[in-house]
Amino acid sequence: MADGFKDCTKLDKASWKPASEAEAKAKALGYEVRRSKIEGSCYEVYGVKEGKLYELFYSPEDLSLKKTIAK
Amino acid sequence: MSSRTPADRTASRTVAVWDLPLRLWHWALAACVLAAWFTPTVYDGLHRIVGYTVLGLLAFRLAWGVWGSRYSRFRMVGVRLRAAPRYLWNLRRGMTGRYIGLNPAGTLMLVALLASLAVSTISGAMSVTVTFFGVWWVEDTHHYSSDAVIVLVVLHVLGVLLMGLLQRENLIRAMITGRKRIRGHS
Repeated sequence: MADGFKDCTKLDKASWKPASEAEAKAKALGYEVRRSKIEGSCYEVYGVKEGKLYELFYSPEDLSLKKTIAK
Repeated sequence: MSSRTPADRTASRTVAVWDLPLRLWHWALAACVLAAWFTPTVYDGLHRIVGYTVLGLLAFRLAWGVWGSRYSRFRMVGVRLRAAPRYLWNLRRGMTGRYIGLNPAGTLMLVALLASLAVSTISGAMSVTVTFFGVWWVEDTHHYSSDAVIVLVVLHVLGVLLMGLLQRENLIRAMITGRKRIRGHS
């Protein structure tokens, strides 16, 4: 039930990779990217795929996908 | 029948004001708003269920404003709203007037809460549609209107407590029993 997610990296914010790269990774997975924002130490990407809503959490450190939540 | 507490017996009788559906509606709405207050993001599923429930409760209230019993109806809302600024101004001297149903300040609160709840629930429902998912103004509208609901709820509770003190009547109990005192009549 609890699906708040906000811990992706301990890396200092100054060393984070740009959010646009997280969006690009989501696009490469076939998501239509609506927007992205910082959630805790994660990039949260809002994506739509086959009419379904998803929140994708990427680590700003290495852009690894930490969690996918279907809304 | 009137409840038989000592205060009732000595100086006053009670009269039926809030009908049963209105009271059930009030407490169901209070429970839902409280639940929604503490569940955004983290308990998304529950947050959505209570949100849709509030939407249904709002629809009921609009219908009950037409077909409910006397003090549930919206017949006097326009008149009371026009009286609200002067009423609030006079409250600084503790003048509460005599109203069996909602006084002008209460009516203003009713309208403000219904409006902000409507904006909050509709924008919330929109934010999980494919069309409006991740659209910034829908999210912002949901956040700000929901914050407004919380502020209004706090003011509502404070207003009820203040009015209860000024009029020496337990208005919370009145929303449970549906009955209020009438003074000076026998």
